[in-house]
Amino acid sequence: MANEALKQEIKSALSNKTLGRTLGTFCETYPERRLKSYEGVDFEETRENIRRVKGYAADHIDEMIEEFTKNCTARGGHVFHATSADEAIEFVRNLVKEKGVQTIVKSKSMASEEIHMNKILGDDGVLVQETDLGEFIIALEGNTPVHMVMPALHLNKEQVADLFTDYTKVENKPIISEEVKTARKVMRDKFTHADMGVSGANVAVAETGTVFTMTNEGNGRMVGTLPKIHLYVFGIEKFVKSLSDARYIFKALPRNGTAQRLTAYLSLYTGANEVVLDKETDEKGPKDFYCVILDDPGRREILAEESFREIFDCIRCGACLDVCPAFALLGGHVYGSNVYTGGIGTLLSHFLVSEERAEQIQNICLQCGRCKEVCGGGLHIPEMIMKLRERSMEKHPNPTYKFALDAVSDRKLFHSMLRIASIAQPAFMKQGQPMMRHLPMFLSGLSEGRSLPKIAQVPFRDVFPTIEQNVPNPKGKIAIFTGCLLDFVYIDTAKAVIKDLNSIGYIVDMPMGQSCCGAPATYMGDRENAKKTAELNINAMAAENYDYIVSACPTCTHQIREYEQFFQDDPEMLAKAKELGEKSYDFCKLFHMLGGLSDEGDGKELNITYHDSCHLKRSMGVFKEQRELLTHTKGVHLTEMKESDNCCGFGGTYSIKFPEVAAPILERKVEHIKETGADTVAVDCPGCMMQISGGLDARDIPVDVKHTAVIIAEKRGLM
Amino acid sequence: MGAVDVLYERFEKNLQAVNGNSWLADKAEAAGIIAQAYKDEGVDSVCIAESPLLQEIGLAKALADAGMEVYTDHLRLHAETAKGGVLEAQCGIADLGSIIQLSDDIDNRIVAIMPEYCIGVVRLSEIVDDYDAMFDKLCSLETLPAFVGFITGPSRTADIECVSTVGVHGPLKLSIVVIKDV
Repeated sequence: MANEALKQEIKSALSNKTLGRTLGTFCETYPERRLKSYEGVDFEETRENIRRVKGYAADHIDEMIEEFTKNCTARGGHVFHATSADEAIEFVRNLVKEKGVQTIVKSKSMASEEIHMNKILGDDGVLVQETDLGEFIIALEGNTPVHMVMPALHLNKEQVADLFTDYTKVENKPIISEEVKTARKVMRDKFTHADMGVSGANVAVAETGTVFTMTNEGNGRMVGTLPKIHLYVFGIEKFVKSLSDARYIFKALPRNGTAQRLTAYLSLYTGANEVVLDKETDEKGPKDFYCVILDDPGRREILAEESFREIFDCIRCGACLDVCPAFALLGGHVYGSNVYTGGIGTLLSHFLVSEERAEQIQNICLQCGRCKEVCGGGLHIPEMIMKLRERSMEKHPNPTYKFALDAVSDRKLFHSMLRIASIAQPAFMKQGQPMMRHLPMFLSGLSEGRSLPKIAQVPFRDVFPTIEQNVPNPKGKIAIFTGCLLDFVYIDTAKAVIKDLNSIGYIVDMPMGQSCCGAPATYMGDRENAKKTAELNINAMAAENYDYIVSACPTCTHQIREYEQFFQDDPEMLAKAKELGEKSYDFCKLFHMLGGLSDEGDGKELNITYHDSCHLKRSMGVFKEQRELLTHTKGVHLTEMKESDNCCGFGGTYSIKFPEVAAPILERKVEHIKETGADTVAVDCPGCMMQISGGLDARDIPVDVKHTAVIIAEKRGLM
Repeated sequence: MGAVDVLYERFEKNLQAVNGNSWLADKAEAAGIIAQAYKDEGVDSVCIAESPLLQEIGLAKALADAGMEVYTDHLRLHAETAKGGVLEAQCGIADLGSIIQLSDDIDNRIVAIMPEYCIGVVRLSEIVDDYDAMFDKLCSLETLPAFVGFITGPSRTADIECVSTVGVHGPLKLSIVVIKDV
């Protein structure tokens, strides 16, 4: 999975201070700037429209190609339909040769990167000049883009000055405005002398034969205005049917990409537009206008796969990178592709660039789901990455993880391992603290920068029968699904859930056959073990006997609700899985729903801040209920922390695989908690609880971490 | 204030937000304003992509009278050195401060992108409310011109350290003269 070369690249990215600073600041300010750019525009409606128009084009792709070709040709353009990258580059090579092209100016075209145009034409002796400032800088550096929209973020102005000095043989000062002037000067000469311009299309319109290009620097305009030959290279995913359809994309693209309402330039070329053929005589005429449509097998594979087809809805805005906690730390180089980076890059790389590389980098995803909230095409990026993981696990099972997951999905074995661990652990305890630095067995390697909680001497399943539930005239019966952490670590949280529910008239039962929810197996891509645990829990929980199922772990709740996907061809199990899923709620949602909101409380001052779990907030949309429950409680004061819904870095098994990435994410969370001055962090997920309390403990920060259920029970005097 | 003035003010405000500036002018004033603007910036040579409107306002003469080198042909050649470029844009968008070229005329495109200081001229009556209205207009055209270009402020970049910098390959400065024709 995470191989050594990738680990090395991660290390190197984390030690690049410029990248950390620039990207860090960019990503921190991005969400607010983006939101501001959407003032007066309904984002959800816009991306619904994008999905609709791009979905239509994908469903009618052959028609789109045919219609575009017909219409562009009718306006004097030439269209070449390339069914492979090789065909595309051969066409370009021949065109260049036939026209005697010696110099090319290029504005951004990702498809041309896929066909390695610069390298291949360069080897043929043609000078291919990248004209976008960022692309120009990395070309001088001999590097690949670190970001799809801002390719040279990893370099500071001093490094840029050095590169420019080397290139121009004149000293360049590390002053950004001066460097931009140098770029203008250097590039001007290239623009005026180039034989051919190459552009990428943001959108191609079938009905009119029009291609769209957006730029800020004006390089796209120069490429489309000066050279007498103009070549567009773009993939079939760029099509929409009508001019009117194209509008939606340009509503989201600049806002999502750079938080601009519109970029400086948006250009539409329809066929052979006019150009000056001879500047001395001022002779004018139509330019040689070519479009190469890249329709390679990778793209067709995306279309053919029901679960990946929506990749075609991607508008290449890069928003998924800008909100990704892992990307904010690492930048794009670790994604290894010369073309695409980040979450979407993982997917595109799999189909369009290198399956092997994609297999390694798919694990960088935390599955926090932030990208889904902002995606311009409404793609389910985390789910698709998960599907890739499943496939690669099927293809290349990792024996260590497989062993661990086999053990977890065997309830008796797993539970006895945990019981043994609870006896073996005192040797690892931090002095005088109820924390341990290392967990034994397969969980070792998990403790970089944080302490881990102690495994309970007596698991909750043994405590449960001793809990007295005094509920006269109960309103109903609820089954608790504890999950591993509540069962074996956070016993008090499980107790609090029961006491809280008792207090509003519900009896709670604990079906003893239950085991791990299966999320670890799912996140590792081990579908077989995930299904095994699903089956076990569906039978154990016997949802038909209860009004509701309560869980105090959003990851478990989410997993349980997903069980039905495993039984699509087993009607009996499917019905049971559905019933279980429909009755399952996370504690705060259920408690709120059943009338748990009350002003009760001991009135003693408690200053809290709240951390949103990724699953609770984004998968289940629960973020108001727990805040209401907490703030209504007498004595509780809530101060919101910065980025309260940013992942804590736990990410299920993520912190095992990439502790070096998880650690700085946690560091940031700890800083934001400290800034609030709160004495308690309220959470609703035991995974977050473990991660955050570990982070606070390792730094000796005296802030408690408590589950909402516990705070309510304590303040209402229920335990 | 009339609806027309409100429209202009929106246009101006949104253009300023992207580092451009504008003037609302009668036809009689327009050439003088442009001449003054170039003078203030020390521009001594200007390419004009002539149009009936630019001819009507007497721009070439006004600039020449102000002592500037003026070119109205061979613009591909002269724009390599000329500091200023003037074009007429066919439309504008109040909500974005954008002007839109609806013309395949290559001279129009050259002066919009090559010189350092670009001035666009647009009729107030051709400024539409917002982006969607502009797209509706494009869709209603019987034949789409071979080139359509939206220009929203001067060229810009944030490619070095994410620091927003105005003026890269396109104009360093962009001004719009809105002709009060309604």
